[in-house]
Amino acid sequence: MPRILSAVLIFAVFLPGTLVALGGDPKAGETKAYTCTGCHGIPGYNNVYPTYKVPKIGGQNYEYLVSALKAYQSGDREHATMELQAQALSDQDIEDVAAYFAALGGGETGK
Amino acid sequence: MSDWTRKAVLALTCVVPLALGPAELHADGEPQAGREKAKQCESCHGTDGRSVEPSYPNLAGQYESYLIKSLSDYRSGARDHAIMKSFAANLSNQDIEDLAAWYASQQGLEDLSIK
Repeated sequence: MPRILSAVLIFAVFLPGTLVALGGDPKAGETKAYTCTGCHGIPGYNNVYPTYKVPKIGGQNYEYLVSALKAYQSGDREHATMELQAQALSDQDIEDVAAYFAALGGGETGK
Repeated sequence: MSDWTRKAVLALTCVVPLALGPAELHADGEPQAGREKAKQCESCHGTDGRSVEPSYPNLAGQYESYLIKSLSDYRSGARDHAIMKSFAANLSNQDIEDLAAWYASQQGLEDLSIK
Protein backbone atom coordinates (compact mmCIF):
# COMPACT_ATOMS: atom_id res chain seq x y z
CA MET A 1 0.00 0.00 0.00
CA PRO A 2 2.69 2.54 0.89
CA ARG A 3 4.34 1.65 -2.40
CA ILE A 4 1.17 2.52 -4.33
CA LEU A 5 0.87 5.72 -2.33
CA SER A 6 4.40 6.80 -3.20
CA ALA A 7 3.79 5.92 -6.84
CA VAL A 8 0.72 8.17 -6.83
CA LEU A 9 2.67 10.93 -5.12
CA ILE A 10 5.49 10.71 -7.62
CA PHE A 11 2.98 10.83 -10.45
CA ALA A 12 1.26 13.87 -8.91
CA VAL A 13 4.57 15.68 -8.56
CA PHE A 14 5.56 15.11 -12.17
CA LEU A 15 2.12 15.58 -13.71
CA PRO A 16 2.30 19.39 -14.08
CA GLY A 17 5.65 19.05 -15.82
CA THR A 18 4.18 16.47 -18.15
CA LEU A 19 1.33 18.78 -19.07
CA VAL A 20 3.70 21.63 -19.89
CA ALA A 21 5.76 19.29 -22.02
CA LEU A 22 2.66 18.33 -23.98
CA GLY A 23 2.36 21.94 -25.05
CA GLY A 24 -0.57 24.07 -26.05
CA ASP A 25 -3.03 23.85 -28.85
CA PRO A 26 -2.06 26.08 -31.81
CA LYS A 27 -5.62 26.11 -33.10
CA ALA A 28 -7.00 27.42 -29.81
CA GLY A 29 -4.03 29.77 -29.64
CA GLU A 30 -4.90 31.39 -32.95
CA THR A 31 -8.15 32.80 -31.53
CA LYS A 32 -6.54 33.76 -28.22
CA ALA A 33 -3.69 35.53 -30.01
CA TYR A 34 -5.96 38.00 -31.74
CA THR A 35 -5.04 40.81 -29.33
CA CYS A 36 -1.32 40.14 -29.78
CA THR A 37 -1.48 40.90 -33.47
CA GLY A 38 -2.38 44.52 -32.64
CA CYS A 39 1.35 45.05 -32.02
CA HIS A 40 3.15 41.87 -33.10
CA GLY A 41 1.19 41.59 -36.32
CA ILE A 42 2.26 44.84 -37.89
CA PRO A 43 5.62 44.57 -39.64
CA GLY A 44 8.03 47.20 -38.32
CA TYR A 45 5.62 48.47 -35.65
CA ASN A 46 7.43 50.54 -33.02
CA ASN A 47 7.21 50.40 -29.26
CA VAL A 48 6.31 53.95 -28.25
CA TYR A 49 9.06 54.72 -25.73
CA PRO A 50 11.82 53.80 -25.75
CA THR A 51 11.59 53.36 -29.48
CA TYR A 52 12.43 49.93 -30.82
CA LYS A 53 10.56 47.53 -33.02
CA VAL A 54 8.09 45.16 -31.39
CA PRO A 55 9.82 41.77 -31.62
CA LYS A 56 8.98 39.18 -34.21
CA ILE A 57 7.55 36.11 -32.54
CA GLY A 58 6.45 34.03 -35.54
CA GLY A 59 8.63 30.92 -35.36
CA GLN A 60 9.96 31.64 -31.89
CA ASN A 61 10.55 28.63 -29.63
CA TYR A 62 7.52 27.41 -27.70
CA GLU A 63 9.36 27.02 -24.39
CA TYR A 64 10.92 30.45 -24.64
CA LEU A 65 7.54 32.06 -25.39
CA VAL A 66 5.96 30.34 -22.37
CA SER A 67 8.76 31.49 -20.08
CA ALA A 68 8.67 35.04 -21.48
CA LEU A 69 4.90 35.33 -20.91
CA LYS A 70 5.19 33.91 -17.41
CA ALA A 71 8.00 36.34 -16.59
CA TYR A 72 5.81 39.24 -17.76
CA GLN A 73 2.90 37.82 -15.76
CA SER A 74 4.91 37.71 -12.54
CA GLY A 75 6.58 41.06 -13.20
CA ASP A 76 10.06 39.52 -13.40
CA ARG A 77 10.26 40.96 -16.87
CA GLU A 78 9.04 44.52 -17.11
CA HIS A 79 6.95 46.01 -19.85
CA ALA A 80 3.71 47.79 -18.94
CA THR A 81 1.67 46.52 -21.88
CA MET A 82 3.03 42.98 -21.84
CA GLU A 83 2.57 42.64 -18.08
CA LEU A 84 -1.12 43.56 -18.40
CA GLN A 85 -1.62 41.27 -21.37
CA ALA A 86 0.07 38.33 -19.65
CA GLN A 87 -1.86 38.83 -16.44
CA ALA A 88 -5.07 38.34 -18.40
CA LEU A 89 -3.90 34.90 -19.58
CA SER A 90 -4.34 31.55 -17.84
CA ASP A 91 -1.57 28.93 -18.00
CA GLN A 92 -3.56 27.17 -20.70
CA ASP A 93 -3.90 30.42 -22.67
CA ILE A 94 -0.15 30.99 -22.47
CA GLU A 95 0.58 27.49 -23.74
CA ASP A 96 -1.95 27.84 -26.55
CA VAL A 97 -0.70 31.20 -27.85
CA ALA A 98 2.91 30.02 -27.53
CA ALA A 99 2.06 26.93 -29.58
CA TYR A 100 0.39 29.13 -32.20
CA PHE A 101 3.34 31.53 -32.58
CA ALA A 102 5.89 28.69 -32.57
CA ALA A 103 4.00 26.95 -35.34
CA LEU A 104 3.99 30.07 -37.55
CA GLY A 105 7.60 29.73 -38.50
CA GLY A 106 10.31 27.16 -38.07
CA GLY A 107 9.70 26.97 -34.32
CA GLU A 108 11.52 24.29 -32.39
CA THR A 109 12.13 22.18 -35.43
CA GLY A 110 14.17 25.01 -36.95
CA LYS A 111 12.73 24.45 -40.41
CA MET B 1 35.50 85.79 -11.57
CA SER B 2 34.36 87.89 -14.45
CA ASP B 3 30.84 87.81 -15.68
CA TRP B 4 32.00 86.05 -18.84
CA THR B 5 33.84 83.33 -16.88
CA ARG B 6 30.83 82.79 -14.66
CA LYS B 7 28.66 82.29 -17.73
CA ALA B 8 31.16 79.92 -19.29
CA VAL B 9 31.34 77.80 -16.11
CA LEU B 10 27.56 77.69 -15.92
CA ALA B 11 27.29 76.63 -19.54
CA LEU B 12 29.86 73.88 -19.06
CA THR B 13 28.12 72.53 -15.96
CA CYS B 14 25.02 72.13 -18.07
CA VAL B 15 26.62 70.67 -21.15
CA VAL B 16 29.30 68.33 -19.77
CA PRO B 17 26.94 65.90 -17.96
CA LEU B 18 24.94 65.57 -21.17
CA ALA B 19 28.06 64.74 -23.12
CA LEU B 20 29.18 62.18 -20.53
CA GLY B 21 25.76 60.49 -20.36
CA PRO B 22 25.19 57.06 -21.90
CA ALA B 23 25.78 57.24 -25.61
CA GLU B 24 22.70 56.51 -27.63
CA LEU B 25 22.64 53.12 -29.34
CA HIS B 26 21.84 53.05 -33.02
CA ALA B 27 20.67 50.29 -35.31
CA ASP B 28 23.60 50.74 -37.66
CA GLY B 29 26.04 48.00 -36.64
CA GLU B 30 28.24 45.99 -38.96
CA PRO B 31 26.89 42.44 -39.53
CA GLN B 32 30.25 40.90 -40.45
CA ALA B 33 31.93 42.38 -37.38
CA GLY B 34 28.99 41.01 -35.38
CA ARG B 35 29.51 37.57 -36.85
CA GLU B 36 33.03 37.46 -35.41
CA LYS B 37 31.85 38.74 -32.05
CA ALA B 38 28.99 36.20 -31.95
CA LYS B 39 31.27 33.20 -31.38
CA GLN B 40 30.50 33.21 -27.67
CA CYS B 41 26.74 33.34 -28.39
CA GLU B 42 26.76 30.25 -30.60
CA SER B 43 26.81 27.60 -27.89
CA CYS B 44 23.26 28.59 -26.93
CA HIS B 45 21.84 30.56 -29.86
CA GLY B 46 23.32 28.38 -32.61
CA THR B 47 25.62 29.28 -35.48
CA ASP B 48 22.65 30.46 -37.56
CA GLY B 49 20.68 32.24 -34.83
CA ARG B 50 18.44 29.26 -34.25
CA SER B 51 18.96 28.23 -30.69
CA VAL B 52 20.20 24.80 -29.74
CA GLU B 53 17.79 24.47 -26.86
CA PRO B 54 14.09 25.45 -26.96
CA SER B 55 14.16 27.48 -23.76
CA TYR B 56 16.53 29.93 -25.47
CA PRO B 57 15.09 32.31 -28.05
CA ASN B 58 15.80 32.13 -31.74
CA LEU B 59 17.51 35.34 -32.81
CA ALA B 60 17.73 34.88 -36.58
CA GLY B 61 15.84 37.61 -38.36
CA GLN B 62 14.84 39.44 -35.19
CA TYR B 63 14.55 43.22 -35.47
CA GLU B 64 17.87 44.96 -34.94
CA SER B 65 16.43 47.61 -32.63
CA TYR B 66 14.79 44.98 -30.42
CA LEU B 67 18.07 43.03 -30.14
CA ILE B 68 19.86 46.24 -29.18
CA LYS B 69 17.21 46.95 -26.57
CA SER B 70 17.48 43.39 -25.17
CA LEU B 71 21.27 43.39 -24.94
CA SER B 72 21.43 46.83 -23.36
CA ASP B 73 18.74 45.79 -20.85
CA TYR B 74 20.75 42.68 -19.95
CA ARG B 75 23.84 44.85 -19.61
CA SER B 76 22.11 47.36 -17.33
CA GLY B 77 20.30 44.69 -15.34
CA ALA B 78 16.86 45.97 -16.39
CA ARG B 79 16.29 42.51 -17.83
CA ASP B 80 17.46 39.80 -15.50
CA HIS B 81 19.09 36.59 -16.67
CA ALA B 82 22.23 35.25 -15.02
CA ILE B 83 23.92 33.94 -18.17
CA MET B 84 22.98 36.87 -20.40
CA LYS B 85 23.97 39.38 -17.75
CA SER B 86 27.51 38.00 -17.58
CA PHE B 87 27.89 38.02 -21.37
CA ALA B 88 26.36 41.46 -21.87
CA ALA B 89 28.37 43.04 -19.06
CA ASN B 90 31.50 42.99 -21.23
CA LEU B 91 29.93 44.38 -24.40
CA SER B 92 30.60 47.88 -25.66
CA ASN B 93 27.91 49.88 -27.47
CA GLN B 94 29.64 49.02 -30.74
CA ASP B 95 29.61 45.30 -29.86
CA ILE B 96 25.89 45.42 -29.13
CA GLU B 97 25.18 47.22 -32.41
CA ASP B 98 27.31 44.76 -34.41
CA LEU B 99 25.77 41.67 -32.78
CA ALA B 100 22.25 42.99 -33.37
CA ALA B 101 23.07 43.71 -37.02
CA TRP B 102 24.43 40.17 -37.47
CA TYR B 103 21.40 38.37 -36.06
CA ALA B 104 18.97 40.73 -37.79
CA SER B 105 20.63 39.95 -41.12
CA GLN B 106 19.80 36.23 -40.85
CA GLN B 107 16.68 34.52 -42.11
CA GLY B 108 14.38 33.20 -39.44
CA LEU B 109 11.72 34.81 -37.31
CA GLU B 110 8.65 36.21 -38.97
CA ASP B 111 6.20 39.00 -38.45
CA LEU B 112 2.68 37.85 -37.96
CA SER B 113 0.91 38.98 -41.04
CA ILE B 114 -2.59 40.23 -40.46
CA LYS B 115 -5.03 38.04 -42.29
